[in-house]
Amino acid sequence: MKKVLNIVLRHLLLMFLAFIWLVPIVWLLVTSFSAYPGRNTSTFFPEEWSIVAYKNLLFSSDSVAQFPNWFKNTFIIACFTCVISTIFVLMVAYATSCMRFKMRKPLMNIGVILNLFPGVLSMIAVYFILRTLNLTNTHLGLIIVYTAGSGLGYLIAKGFFDTIPASLREAAYLDGANEVTIFWRVVIPMSRPIIVYTVISSFLTPWMDFVYAKMMLNSGISSQWTVAIGLYNMLDKSLINTYFTQFCAGGVLVSIPISILFVIMQKFYVEGVTGGSVKG
Amino acid sequence: MSQVKKGLQSFFCAVGGFFKEFGQAVAKGDLFVKLSLIWMGAGYIRRKQFVKGILMTIFEAAVIWFTLGFAVEYVPKFVSLGTVQQEAVFNIATMQNEFNDYDHSFMILLFSLLSFVVWAIFAVVWLCNIVNCYRLQKRSEAGLHINTFSEDMKEYVNKKFYVTLLALPVTGVVVFTVIPLLVLILVAFTNYDQQHMPPSALFDWVGLDNFKSLFSSGGLTVTFGYAFGRILIWTLVWAVFATITTYIGGILLSMLINNKKTKLPRMWRTIFVITIAVPQFVSLLLVRNFFANNGIFNTFCSGIGLTGWLRDMGVISTSYIPFLSAPIWAHVMIILINIWIGVPYQMLIATGVLMNIPTEQLESARIDGATPRQTFFHITMPYMLFVTGPTLVTDFVKNINNFNVIYLLTEGVYTTTDQLMANSQAKETDLLITWLFNLTQNYYNYKMASTIGIVVFVICAVFTLVAFNRFLKGDREEAFR
Amino acid sequence: MKKLVALLMTMTMAVSLAACGSDTQGDTGSAAGTSQAAETTAAGESTATAPTEKQDVSLTMWGAEEDQALLQSMIDSFTQHYADYANFNIQLGVESESTAKDTILTDIESAADVYAFASDQLIDLVNAGALLSIDTMDEALQAYAGKSVADIESANASGSVEAATYNDTLYAFPMSADNGYFLYYDSTVLTEEDVASWDSLLAAADAAGKKVGMTLASGWYNASFFYGAGFTTGLNEDGSTAMDWNGTADASGVEVVQAMLDIAGHNAFLAVADGDISNQIASGALCAAVSGTWDATAAQNAFGEGYAATKLPTFTVGDQQIQQGSVAGFKLVGVNAYSQNAGWAALLAEWITNEENQALRFEQREIGPSNSNVAASEAVLSNVAIAALSEQSAYGVVQVVGGNYWDPTETFGEMIAQGSLNRDDTAAIQEALDTLVEGVSAPTQ
Repeated sequence: MKKVLNIVLRHLLLMFLAFIWLVPIVWLLVTSFSAYPGRNTSTFFPEEWSIVAYKNLLFSSDSVAQFPNWFKNTFIIACFTCVISTIFVLMVAYATSCMRFKMRKPLMNIGVILNLFPGVLSMIAVYFILRTLNLTNTHLGLIIVYTAGSGLGYLIAKGFFDTIPASLREAAYLDGANEVTIFWRVVIPMSRPIIVYTVISSFLTPWMDFVYAKMMLNSGISSQWTVAIGLYNMLDKSLINTYFTQFCAGGVLVSIPISILFVIMQKFYVEGVTGGSVKG
Repeated sequence: MSQVKKGLQSFFCAVGGFFKEFGQAVAKGDLFVKLSLIWMGAGYIRRKQFVKGILMTIFEAAVIWFTLGFAVEYVPKFVSLGTVQQEAVFNIATMQNEFNDYDHSFMILLFSLLSFVVWAIFAVVWLCNIVNCYRLQKRSEAGLHINTFSEDMKEYVNKKFYVTLLALPVTGVVVFTVIPLLVLILVAFTNYDQQHMPPSALFDWVGLDNFKSLFSSGGLTVTFGYAFGRILIWTLVWAVFATITTYIGGILLSMLINNKKTKLPRMWRTIFVITIAVPQFVSLLLVRNFFANNGIFNTFCSGIGLTGWLRDMGVISTSYIPFLSAPIWAHVMIILINIWIGVPYQMLIATGVLMNIPTEQLESARIDGATPRQTFFHITMPYMLFVTGPTLVTDFVKNINNFNVIYLLTEGVYTTTDQLMANSQAKETDLLITWLFNLTQNYYNYKMASTIGIVVFVICAVFTLVAFNRFLKGDREEAFR
Repeated sequence: MKKLVALLMTMTMAVSLAACGSDTQGDTGSAAGTSQAAETTAAGESTATAPTEKQDVSLTMWGAEEDQALLQSMIDSFTQHYADYANFNIQLGVESESTAKDTILTDIESAADVYAFASDQLIDLVNAGALLSIDTMDEALQAYAGKSVADIESANASGSVEAATYNDTLYAFPMSADNGYFLYYDSTVLTEEDVASWDSLLAAADAAGKKVGMTLASGWYNASFFYGAGFTTGLNEDGSTAMDWNGTADASGVEVVQAMLDIAGHNAFLAVADGDISNQIASGALCAAVSGTWDATAAQNAFGEGYAATKLPTFTVGDQQIQQGSVAGFKLVGVNAYSQNAGWAALLAEWITNEENQALRFEQREIGPSNSNVAASEAVLSNVAIAALSEQSAYGVVQVVGGNYWDPTETFGEMIAQGSLNRDDTAAIQEALDTLVEGVSAPTQ
């Protein structure tokens, strides 16, 4: 009896939490189907339903809303960023976790210190470096901005690698494997969760960042923008009352590919790690 | 402290040893080692390491080319930061403005620094190069085997694999993080502000003036120090709460979902994970409209009479509940909303880590008859803390610099009623980083922003290094292997 | 005569005699204000004799999102009009007039050659060296557009020229004169007598169960009470703001604040957050609102039949009624001081803001013109919102302030809106005013 009660309470709690977590998401979804283009402040559900916001967003681009272009731009940038960042993070994590060399500790400390410095302050310097390389207003420039420092985010991956038993690697050494083989054949296959985590978080960066993107893409040509700048721009004081619903629709459309990514990855996530049968 | 001392000691010993070897190399090296002082490939070519020799020569040529073609334009002006003001003459015949060759102080600063970094790297390579050539000479004199190029390369996938791994990430960090950071540190010693903005005006070195005016009430308004104190306190409070709440929340949620008694764990996980899929700027701007003074949640609250009740209680004086527009309200709401944002992330991490818990330990604990509570506090938590300890520290630092949440929730919505804050272009909900952003983006006060940035940086650095070294103390890394 | 010779000389240098001939035609054409058709024929005629070697001119221009289509059509007509002199490649980008300064000052050298901005940004832009002095373009303007700087100054309303001038130099071309505010009201709820003063306005609104909305937390709006009572703002030598609101003008600063507190504390008054007013008008809770022409459509939709607009009301200080002032704001088009093709950039800016295009702009977007001729036209005069704006403009002030003005005044307005000052505590009000002035007049860093 107590057991059943426990289970029921457990699920009630989860339902309550899920409700709280989903309210804003549902609001986003229903508002995006509103016929009224501005902010709806009186009711949760729109008074009149319509898909006009999606239609405008996808098929009738104007100078404010160029959603298909933005989406394409962001997607390309995100793919490159995600691949490069993930590689960088894994490389740094392996070097610091599985190898021992003189500069390891100093480098790690420097890495921690660098993360402390407020990044927005040095934005202007990054901008001028890219301008000198003629990379402002290009997607390559943005990819560089997002990936160049990504190696500094290695700590979580390193923490994970630390839990991979050293005996596995030692066995491989005895079999005559070199570091590359161990990295590629032993460590990486065991690291799915952390790879998934890194892939997801680096894929998200270009979709979320509007500060750097706004500074780097400053030619005013709205078709070059990323989704983040474009949507953020829709909330400008002079535009919000005509574009709020489109903003919500844009938010929904952006979330779809990312959600799919999450759901697919989650499968690997759970299956990839089947307990510590070979570990410890 | 002693640890730092020991570290420094061994560092200087290593440097000393290196220079001793370098001196020996120059003194005792043969002609080609000495020739390597000016032609970097010489020593290698003498030992028939042709590829290495050519690579070194190319490297040297590239640095010389960089110096003559690029650095000479900027470095000589580093001391003055430029003297030539921009001038333009309009030519009616071509309808064009003809500009003089004006100086851009910021570019001079930036590229001088870049040059210094390049030269520093060159100097290190040059020194190592001599030492290596001398070692090669000794090996060949002793009749030992000298590596071929492909043997050298093999080192880089084996013992020196870390060099291969770190090369690109470190280069990226140096160019796009370290150099910009150094530039901004230097800016704190200049008068780069709205009155001295390149390209139209030049700025200049001012020594420690900016620091003096931050810590004495002399040059700046008195309120600047006041705002700095208030914002620093809130930044620390925020960072502590934001880190701890999401961390614990994430672990609890993940344990709730992953428990054997929970049905459909994947479905629950997906529900929470979906909230991450909505980009922060969308969800935060949405939440901000949700809790706006005339937003839907306020409509709801006044509908059920909560607003009226609170007003009767004397908690609020306005006709709405100021969720995001009054000091304490906004502070609490921001932390709560951050839980909403951050817990699913932490849940993901915790799930990944919990699945890796060595099962034998859990098994043996169960056989020994430990209660779930005991298992949690004696096995699960220590393991979690061990694996995610470093991330706790980095999360804390990330939260100190958490621009997005604060900016998106308060920018353009929150108006301070504290005049002293307003006089320093600050508001109560600002973190140091959003305040600095505002100072640079809207007031172009780069010099003060950099100065404050350095002070913040020092505070954070001291705290973090201590904490970080605790968490990563030597043998701890091996503890669970 | 001398000028004409010089003009001819330079023209010969610039292109060729043939091109010069066509210029005189274009010249007379625009002076007479002929239609597009006449200009096209002029251009068509000259192509036959045009020089073979034309300059390639690349320009970039930034304008507001809402204006993109309109601006593109103006650029097209510009390219056509000057097709004889150069091959134009003009790129149009989006940059809101209200945020232009922030983007431009980040990197002036790669900002657009021509950009539109709100007049309150002029001082910062000039100080940063981002605006080309139009006076230096006099020769080029005369040669190609057939207008001198003096002609342009006299063609536009004096207020707009004043707003575009700094240190006796004209720095931008006035484009529109509607960046100011006035009172929208619902004439089915409020009578003309009601809207004459705040007291009667609020009383009538209260009786009707509706509200009157105004933004207080912005130095752009709340200055209207102080300007009305004769207070001023200005610039000091060092670029900091001079402000006298803590002293006494027609009334004392404290009395003005008390009047504002009376209004803000009234049951029928709704203090609206900056930028939220259109949303509030649309919500239907208001029967009157202080806003500008950009909300004309929202007000029309909300008030329907009763849609009306007028100057701002008077407010009560002691036993006298003081007319509320306002900020007369303008949209200007400037030329980047770092523009390579400065001459053509100036001509483009002139083109975008000339009489025909201001008329076109009003026709398509209902934007109030700064050009006196267009402003005097039948259509403009019959526009409800613009008529109210010009009625209010008699009390409008060109706001001259430095960068430190905005944050302290915003906070001051919010304090009044939230009622955190006590009406009867004159000492506290005086102290708040002193702190305000101290913050505003702090030296710029």
